[in-house]
Amino acid sequence: MSQSAEKVLDHFKLFREPEYKEMFAKKKAEFEYPVPNEALQHTIEWTKSTEYRDKNFAREALTVNPAKACQPLGAVFAANGFEGTLPFVHGSQGCVAYYRSHFSRHFKEPTSCVSSSMTEDAAVFGGLNNMIDGLANSYSLYKPKMIAVSTTCMAEVIGDDLNAFIKTSKEKGSVPEAFDVPFAHTPAFVGSHITGYDNALHGVLKHFWDGKAGTTEPLKRVENESVNFIGGFDGYVVGNNREIKRIFNEFGIKHTMLCDPSDAWDTPTDGEFRMYDGGTSLEDAANALHAKATITMQTISTEKTAKFIEEHGQEVVKLHHPVGVGGTDKFIMELSRITGVAIPDSITKERGRLVDAIADSSAHIHGKKFALYGDPDLMLGLTGFLLELGAEPVTVLSTNGDKDWAAKVQALFDASPFGANCKVYPKRDLWHLRSLLFTDPVDFLIGNTYGKYLDRDTKTPLIRIGFPIFDRHHKHRYPVWGYQGAMNVLVTILDKIFDVMDADTDGIGTTDYSFDIIR
Amino acid sequence: MASLNEKVQDVFNEPACDKNQAKGEKERKKGCTKQLTPGAAAGGCAFDGAKIALQPITDVAHLVHGPIACEGNGWDNRGAKSSDSKLYRTGFTTDISELDVIYGGEKRLYKSIREVLEKYNPPAVFVYQTCVTALIGDDIEAVCKAATTKFGKPIIPINAPGFVGAKNLGNKLAGEALLEYVIGTEEPELTTPYDINIIGEYNLAGELWQIKPLLDELGIRILACISGDAKYKEVAYSHRAKAAMMVCSKAMINVARKMEERYNIPFFEGSFYGITDTSESLRQISKLLVQQGAAEDLLSRTEKLIFREETRAWEGINRYRAKLQGKKVLLITGGVKSWSVVSALQEGGMEIVGTSVKKSTDEDKDKIKELMGEDAHMFDDMRPRDMYAMLKECRADIMLSGGRSQFVALKVKMPWLDINQERHHAYAGYVGMVELVKQIEQALYHPVWAQVRKPAPWETEVSEVSEAKAA
Repeated sequence: MSQSAEKVLDHFKLFREPEYKEMFAKKKAEFEYPVPNEALQHTIEWTKSTEYRDKNFAREALTVNPAKACQPLGAVFAANGFEGTLPFVHGSQGCVAYYRSHFSRHFKEPTSCVSSSMTEDAAVFGGLNNMIDGLANSYSLYKPKMIAVSTTCMAEVIGDDLNAFIKTSKEKGSVPEAFDVPFAHTPAFVGSHITGYDNALHGVLKHFWDGKAGTTEPLKRVENESVNFIGGFDGYVVGNNREIKRIFNEFGIKHTMLCDPSDAWDTPTDGEFRMYDGGTSLEDAANALHAKATITMQTISTEKTAKFIEEHGQEVVKLHHPVGVGGTDKFIMELSRITGVAIPDSITKERGRLVDAIADSSAHIHGKKFALYGDPDLMLGLTGFLLELGAEPVTVLSTNGDKDWAAKVQALFDASPFGANCKVYPKRDLWHLRSLLFTDPVDFLIGNTYGKYLDRDTKTPLIRIGFPIFDRHHKHRYPVWGYQGAMNVLVTILDKIFDVMDADTDGIGTTDYSFDIIR
Repeated sequence: MASLNEKVQDVFNEPACDKNQAKGEKERKKGCTKQLTPGAAAGGCAFDGAKIALQPITDVAHLVHGPIACEGNGWDNRGAKSSDSKLYRTGFTTDISELDVIYGGEKRLYKSIREVLEKYNPPAVFVYQTCVTALIGDDIEAVCKAATTKFGKPIIPINAPGFVGAKNLGNKLAGEALLEYVIGTEEPELTTPYDINIIGEYNLAGELWQIKPLLDELGIRILACISGDAKYKEVAYSHRAKAAMMVCSKAMINVARKMEERYNIPFFEGSFYGITDTSESLRQISKLLVQQGAAEDLLSRTEKLIFREETRAWEGINRYRAKLQGKKVLLITGGVKSWSVVSALQEGGMEIVGTSVKKSTDEDKDKIKELMGEDAHMFDDMRPRDMYAMLKECRADIMLSGGRSQFVALKVKMPWLDINQERHHAYAGYVGMVELVKQIEQALYHPVWAQVRKPAPWETEVSEVSEAKAA
């Protein structure tokens, strides 16, 4: 046996030992009844064909490898952005375990979140008792300043009424009468995580602005000089929000980051466990009503919230995850316009540096073909930036992007000569993308960690930009917004281009005549 | 053995150099390299010149005798490509220390030579002298001589310490070292009437490989290329070639001329940049070979090949014409001959608004005038500040230059294409010119240039407002 107590092999090495190889071969030959190798190869090749792609695109019911997550995941994200707030998901506890692990794998931080742990009897008799007990327990156990309630499908299917349940719970003394418990219905069978983010944030604002579910007077808007900033569901929130705050401070603009989990998902290791850290204070969330205007960085991720804010008399500047020179220009100029504050020289300089960096590296990205997938706003931002770089975003795909989104992407294509041969695919999954990568090959793929299977199958090098990123660490710390954020995106793309170039030329004695020091 | 001083004088007194011949006795003695101005930015030193001229010899161990600076900063920084050995890309240095400076570095050098031979067994070791080791009096020639006797392998001293002068002088001193120690020391297995040397071609970005298929088709053999993609033995037996082409006119002219003197190898000066130039060079090669006894039909075969290749290349360039028509190009070149690129760019529909003539001979300048008209905008060496001003004023659409001018171009918001040694695309020969035009097209139409030339949108608005106010 190659496995011994002296030297225990891990999974990377163990199954490469001869006896395991032999065992696998035997298992295959004697028990797996495999198709002949030629037939297997034939099928593999067939999945690369146009014929297969057409069949793949004719799929009506099945989704294979979806590039989206569920509403409550987004709701937990939003709840996590408020001071001392415990996300409370009414429904089954398994779902909540998923959200917590999902975020922890991306942010490398724990995520506070509880559920009302509904079981079979709750499904039959309704989840009221779970809500009453759940709120009482989480209030006394975790001492939150606010509990933000959302729902899993289970509670939605049986039709639990959150408003009524929370009221009853308060009457039963689960939490004090005046304790803030905003809520949002977030069924996973509608929309995606970005919808859930929208609903939950809307729920919080509605709670504070519209009289806390009928328990107090609605607030009266008295306009002030402050500006609200909403990032939307954003995997780069730690880096992005800090960068955005820096930009606000460069301008000297009073601002409220509406939903700011940048500290909650980046707590220091100093001996103290922080169940909650940072976040938008409840006072600020309420006072956000009086702001002069709100900027939302991801309009598709904040549709309902934006409408709600507009209805309360505020201007909402609606952006689509601006990345790059043009996108950031728009953000910066809107910021200057709504506040009347001139754009500081320091920001103009940052812009010049970004343009300089793009020019320095222009030749390497120019004309390269990209396929990209992810959340709809992110896709709009990245498509714009790629076109700016002279790259061709040949395939832009989003599982949770709809027809309206597709029209917006198409408009970007139409505005650039580099968009001429590009196509947008709304409501498609990663198995569709797999076909496209074979029939319409590109130089690079941009997407989240799940893209690594496509990278492996289609040999299209993956540039990791998106959410979630599980297999590379700390990417969420680097902003992708602002001119400096665009610089990070540029470098991420370039790094992969050069890595691929090196890997392509490192054959000793075969291709290393081009293995160069200077690129 | 001539002293370094005598050698430098000898190199300066280059009869094949028309510039040199035009000078008086006194001026000639002063030498042909421009005196450096202390305090002003300047190019590389003689060591650098020697190193870059010889480093493309691929299977040799290039051992730099000096402190870390000389090899550390220059290690493997040129894109000279190799089809075989990669040894030339490994950095070897004696990396001398303070104690070596006090006690002398000769022993360390000797040991280093021994170790490099033991570890890598190269056919030869080239030992480069540097400022520090020259100042403390290390006699690398003596060490190399002793090592050659002891180890039975050619250990070649390259005596061009940085302080003797500029890069170009280093190129020539490197050539002298080859003439003194390498060329003529071995014999080829066979010779043919179609053997040529290509002198002063470094195979940057693999350019030699774009020419080689043409020569192969004509049955012409490159006996030795000095020094691109060369092996030691090829240089050593290069004296058996029937004719030679000298590519980079000012770098290795002494090698070409002295080989003509010593071994009766006639040479001509040519270029593989530009379509007409490539054709002309092929014609010259064939002509010289026929003169030297090759079969007459080589001439007609050459013409046929030229016709075919030219047709194909012009067609290739024409494809870009629509997008390049009327674009203004500014050429700032070092080694790459300006005028040879000019005609190809003109064929692509572009207008040349100016060209540098830093390393061009009078003849080159005449050719430029011929192509661009009498009032051709030519300029010599240029300070970055002047270049900046000139770029702003002449409003070219793109600048073609070496890497060092890149940043000046970018700051002045001008598209830029690298045509010097660090470039990644090969521009030699017929295909190379088509590639160049393609790269220009790509660079010109990159969206960043529109971006670069626009001020930040808020700055436009401000200036528009103030202009409107002024009006």
